[in-house]
Amino acid sequence: MSDVVILGAGISGHTAALHLRRLLDKRHNVTVVSPNSHWNWIPSNIWVGVGEMTTRDVTFPLAPVYQRQGITFRQAKATAIHPQGDSTDARGAVDIESTDPATAGTTQRLRYDYLINATGPKLKFEATAGLGPTGHTLSVCTAQHATEAAEKLREVIAVLKTGRPQTLVIGMGHGTCTCQGAAFEYVFNVDHELREAGVRELAGVIYLTNEAALGDFGVDGMVFDQQGFLTTSELWTSSLFREREVQAIVGAHVEKVEAGLIHYETLDGAHHALPFDFAMLLPPFGGVPLTAYAADGRDISAELFSPAGFMKVDADYTPKPYEEWRGADWPTTYQAPGYSNVFAVGIAFAPPHQISRPRKTANGTVVAPAPPRTGMPSGVMGKTAALTIADRIKNGADAPAHTASMASMGAACVASAGAGLTNGSAAAMTMMPVVPDYSVFPTGRDTATTRGELGLHGHWVKLMLHYLFLYKAKALPGWQLIPE
Amino acid sequence: MNPEPTDQPLLDVSKAPLPTPKTLAQRQSLPFQFLRFLAFNVRIMRMVIRGHH
Repeated sequence: MSDVVILGAGISGHTAALHLRRLLDKRHNVTVVSPNSHWNWIPSNIWVGVGEMTTRDVTFPLAPVYQRQGITFRQAKATAIHPQGDSTDARGAVDIESTDPATAGTTQRLRYDYLINATGPKLKFEATAGLGPTGHTLSVCTAQHATEAAEKLREVIAVLKTGRPQTLVIGMGHGTCTCQGAAFEYVFNVDHELREAGVRELAGVIYLTNEAALGDFGVDGMVFDQQGFLTTSELWTSSLFREREVQAIVGAHVEKVEAGLIHYETLDGAHHALPFDFAMLLPPFGGVPLTAYAADGRDISAELFSPAGFMKVDADYTPKPYEEWRGADWPTTYQAPGYSNVFAVGIAFAPPHQISRPRKTANGTVVAPAPPRTGMPSGVMGKTAALTIADRIKNGADAPAHTASMASMGAACVASAGAGLTNGSAAAMTMMPVVPDYSVFPTGRDTATTRGELGLHGHWVKLMLHYLFLYKAKALPGWQLIPE
Repeated sequence: MNPEPTDQPLLDVSKAPLPTPKTLAQRQSLPFQFLRFLAFNVRIMRMVIRGHH
């Protein structure tokens, strides 16, 4: 009998749990530890953030699904890991603290034979003074944040209807943010809502980003083959901004936010202050804080985690300049060095470096978009770790690891506005691989698969993904046939 | 014209290409978009088959 513990019930952790339960017979235990009681299809939070969907549309309770599947669920947060065991037991262990209202604060040490760290991001609003829902800006990172953003947007639209102009700023709240695709999608959803409300003419809509150019998306931009021409995602995105009359400020590091005023620095070193009536700025991500202890009780966190708190895996972390970055730097097995039974997937693993070229302002301030790890790669990583663990439990601990690298897998980003079947629109992008490989593709990526398109069909894709992945996450019949 | 702050380093996108009326109509045309929907799904499946290992 083996115990598999999964920290986190986001896209990668939940995917790993469902596959492990499918692959292992009931003699083995699969336990999920998550501080949240609900699963959230985060990509659709954008629609919650403009009032097109509600929290109920994008979440569901995890406990009934896990009960039906035979997965043990602990609503708790992990606080420490003991990968070498402790003085009483050589098996690895995780310390957890309950977040279930009925047992909040009680602690427990869970033993494991295999551990998957899929804790996702820590939303580091504190990195920028005044950023976030407890400060002066909004967020769509959680369904609750998105609901608050929708309420504020309604208020702003009500003011616009009285004839008073308003400035809406959407983008990134720090120079090291990731997930530009989400802010890009939100800005065009807000634009759509303002047009639907008939108040677009009175609204100034500004996209404030740490990307050095439009269309970077934290992946160093893309090159599309469009009607026989190689076209950059910068030109493609700029066209959309011009068409929709959305203004952009690029290469920006937000320094602090005061009530109604965003202070930011641009790559030329200049400092600016931008007045706003509505601001949705995403925070930078860090790893969820976990302390790691050796068997003798020594703190070995620095060995297991990067300074940003992400867990080190089988990547090449040798510092090297942008020109020397290679796809081979990226992890393939997501196994922690020195621990063949510990894996980190999704946002929890430490990337070897950015994908987009990092820059500094003239004053030395870092403006470096962090690498995105979107739903498709996160799900694939979770499944990959699950396959490896299942093989090792069935065939022995030396069974080879399954592999999946962001330098070979693709990703999709669909920025959709509107929620009807005939009146929506979308910017739909696919890229493959996520990490460009110039040794294989002259443009870094396969132009047969890397593509950007505008139109109603992207909106249908987004709706399809919404219902398909909620169905899959609920483990309803045939869920395993839906690819990650 | 949208009310934008004038003292901000706003990106100049005035040279970016604008879609023609035909392109805008195609983006909303149900038959055309249905074909693009199928093409998008073929592309996604190609990525799943070739890249997820």
